[in-house]
Amino acid sequence: MASSKAAAMPLIRAALARGVGFLGFWLLLAGPSLGQSTATGVTTDLAAGLAVGLLAAVVATWVSLRLLPPAPGRLRLTALARLARHFLWQSIVAGFDVARRAFDPRLPLKPGDLAFPTRFPPGTGRAAFGAITSLMPGTLPVGTDDHDRLVFHCLDLDQPITAGLARDEALVMGVRRNGSDRDA
Amino acid sequence: MRLALDILTIVAVSLGAIFFLAGTVGLLRFPDTLTRLHALTKADNLGLGLVVLGLLPQVSGPLSALALLAVWLLALLSGSTVGQLLAGKAAVPDPDRAPTLTPGAGASHD
Repeated sequence: MASSKAAAMPLIRAALARGVGFLGFWLLLAGPSLGQSTATGVTTDLAAGLAVGLLAAVVATWVSLRLLPPAPGRLRLTALARLARHFLWQSIVAGFDVARRAFDPRLPLKPGDLAFPTRFPPGTGRAAFGAITSLMPGTLPVGTDDHDRLVFHCLDLDQPITAGLARDEALVMGVRRNGSDRDA
Repeated sequence: MRLALDILTIVAVSLGAIFFLAGTVGLLRFPDTLTRLHALTKADNLGLGLVVLGLLPQVSGPLSALALLAVWLLALLSGSTVGQLLAGKAAVPDPDRAPTLTPGAGASHD
């Protein structure tokens, strides 16, 4: 990446990166039909398809920049990989946990709410934390209480839920380095 | 080698189907909306992941494999987002659930 000089550079760079990402995603999902038409050369079908894809990528980029402005700070790939590994493993645990409870004739559930004082301010980080914890074993975020704590609905209050949430929170927090230490 | 991959496909897709079944059984047996959401989000996440894992050896090329993984990630993203929104809606008007457990601080709920 080239070093940025003007103040608008981060915005342009984020727009380009996201646009390319969205277009790549579109190509990936629309891929098979495109593969057939490329074999027969550039047809009007292919051109029309690409035009729709480009339009979709531009609109998606515009929406994403409005809803999620580029934030300072950088992604830490090692922390992201650690979170992904943790997430995959906990997905397996969560699936087995819920399947065991569903198939058990006694239906072993002890549902209830638990308030978790999160360190995430309201915003993207908190939303990501909520989305990830909704797929972790036994937790489902249902909102925020009067004291700005996240409220989780839990399948089994006897499990060590707060410890698990604290570990998830630390892992998610590690993914984005703070904006204060920007490197050149 | 081909046989081993085919066996992986059969085992993984069958396991995935079992988790989808578990999610549906939970949907039918669990007592209220929130516990049912637990069953659906968690079991479907693992079930779809296993189906995708099982289909990976059968695809024609790396792009198709990436497309399968993209489908899984999109389903995860939409599932967890919609699950949270539904949970937020379901949590408000239901006074019959277990009392709020707040470790440490005192609860000031009505």
